Amino acid sequence: MKSEKVEKKYMPEISRKEIDELRNSVKTASQKIMAENIERMKKADPNRPEVMKYFDEIANLFGQRQKEILAEKEKGKKVIGYMCLFAPTELILAADAIPVRVNSGWYDTSKLGDRVVPVEVCPVIRSTIGAKMIELSPFLELSDALISVLTCDGMTKLSEILSDYKTIWGMDIPRVKDSSQSLRFWNDEIKHMKAQIEEFTGNKITRKSLKAAIEQTQMATKAFRRLQDLRKGPPVIMGRDAMLVNQTYLWDDKKRWTEKTEALCDELEKRVQRKEWVCSPDTPRVLVTGTPMFWPDNWKLPTLVEEANPKGIIVADELCSGERILNDPVGVDEWSMDDMLSAIGDRYLMASTCPCFTSKDGNEDRINWLINKVKEWNVQGVIYYVVRGCMLYGMEYTRIKKALDKINIPVYYLDTDYTREDVGQMKTRVEAFLEMLTARVDF
Amino acid sequence: MITVGMDLGTQRVKAVILKNDTVVSRGQAFSGFDPTKAAEQAVGEALKKANLKISDVAYFVATGSAMEMAPYANSTVSMMGADAKAGVHIFPKARTIIDVGAEEARAVKCDKKGVMVDFVVNERCAAGAGAFIEAMARALEVKLEEMGPLSLKAERASPINASCVIFGESDVVSLIHRQESKPEIARAVFDAMADRISSMVHRLGVNPDVVLVGGVAKDVGFVASLKRKLGVDVLIPEFPDFAGALGAALAAASRAKEGQK
Repeated sequence: MKSEKVEKKYMPEISRKEIDELRNSVKTASQKIMAENIERMKKADPNRPEVMKYFDEIANLFGQRQKEILAEKEKGKKVIGYMCLFAPTELILAADAIPVRVNSGWYDTSKLGDRVVPVEVCPVIRSTIGAKMIELSPFLELSDALISVLTCDGMTKLSEILSDYKTIWGMDIPRVKDSSQSLRFWNDEIKHMKAQIEEFTGNKITRKSLKAAIEQTQMATKAFRRLQDLRKGPPVIMGRDAMLVNQTYLWDDKKRWTEKTEALCDELEKRVQRKEWVCSPDTPRVLVTGTPMFWPDNWKLPTLVEEANPKGIIVADELCSGERILNDPVGVDEWSMDDMLSAIGDRYLMASTCPCFTSKDGNEDRINWLINKVKEWNVQGVIYYVVRGCMLYGMEYTRIKKALDKINIPVYYLDTDYTREDVGQMKTRVEAFLEMLTARVDF
Repeated sequence: MITVGMDLGTQRVKAVILKNDTVVSRGQAFSGFDPTKAAEQAVGEALKKANLKISDVAYFVATGSAMEMAPYANSTVSMMGADAKAGVHIFPKARTIIDVGAEEARAVKCDKKGVMVDFVVNERCAAGAGAFIEAMARALEVKLEEMGPLSLKAERASPINASCVIFGESDVVSLIHRQESKPEIARAVFDAMADRISSMVHRLGVNPDVVLVGGVAKDVGFVASLKRKLGVDVLIPEFPDFAGALGAALAAASRAKEGQK
């Protein structure tokens, strides 16, 4: 880790007293919000599966998981944080280090980020800067190094800003997906990342350890996909519950998360057989796409949709904080080191539907994902969620809307920010959209 | 059958009484700090005009930003859903309803049954809504109702920025410093608003007939600018500010009928 005495390139000097005061106040508020979100989720499904308690505990950012990671660190393990899903977590696991995603979902810290960058910058970035400024995020604080993937403009500069505190490894991602140079270039980045992780952790990534890491992640993908598949039929789990399970993977212990998710799916399958639904099967089925939504504060939209009048249920999403996390497994033919590395490269680049890409046909993969989800998950309406300053998602909307219009699926563009003040306005819009979906069912 | 629609808007509460799909009376009150009380007043006024009692009403539906505070309401309908119902009820060929209120502007695309199929709402800023005209009238030191007629006297247009009320106001101040005439500045205000609203409508597609409702539809200056920017004719009902309440009353009628089945 870098010495605190080095002159900071971006971050303002801020006194220990101010850091502590701000952190304590935001932390207290955040604990209240987490508890409230979970209370509301419990209320939404009075028969909520028992195993959800486990995920509630892991979702407590200042709880059990923070202590566990700290204990592992004391035993000498390294923690490697990352800001984008492109970070190849299999390599981190293979080096016996702990991967954690560190993007911030705290509304209050986005205001602190304004001391460093203009307010026009995406609030996910501003909030992450603010969280670092007051040492709020347990997982960001616990990280010994960070992987930053240069996807959008915000992420690119965020990595520079955070280099005031942490060792940062930037991964350069090609913007044109379907070209052979791109894949070669990206595979070199993967190899380079492997070397950096090995050097930093002092652990060699062997053929055996990488195979084990890939297989473990494949098992997690299997459980993950099983959960999403259960959401294809009449609603057996609230969207918010599934989204919370999906998101906790980002910081939980991978093996235990997989077991608990399988246990959840076992329970849900029993409920499917008993036809025990969490809400009426006529409830409008919604897919959410756009800017990632990070726990705990940015739970605003899922809560609104599932508590609206008329109510909706989120059956699928296309979010890098949600279903994109584990949707695609690494597919390996030969378990040689070279093959495994190129399979990892392939999975992280080619399977991504991030709007930072373009190609001959534009980001066609994202449209295909959405259309497939709409059809197989019987989605009746799509909410296209964008926070202010999120240029790439905002700009891709027109094209997505045209594609969804063609298959007669209504889509609503909902713009918001890291703030609680617009909940009333958002509610009006979400309810009008759900009312429209209900009316379409009636006629 | 008697049904009542209430529209609890940010500035005023409007009520419409419907008897067998025909409007029999209207009432309104300022929302103030107590929208519930204002709604009671508006409904009371309308009932009095029609010589009816609360107990005569079969069904109440509320809409508007404070709909959850509505008294008497049996259910609610979204503002966009109410606009669509009212627009098609008054003008059967209407397929695009634009509603410009005090704090919000929206556009709704609907089918021939008056069911909304798509909608857009202005971004989180009142620059595309009635409050903008009020702020600009203050800056020009003219009465709100003078703004429209004044703007029609303009000989040319001067562009201003209407991305935000505050920026808009500072642009108006620079026009004043440039000694532009009041009619031209008033027209600039309406043009800027109409620009924002027309690009919002274009995102839905401009499907005729286009209907304009909401309090701002009563402003001749805004209507002239909107027609120019959209390039199509814009139909305006006799009581544009009561469209939301009418839509709610229509929803009340169909829900009451459903309940009788």
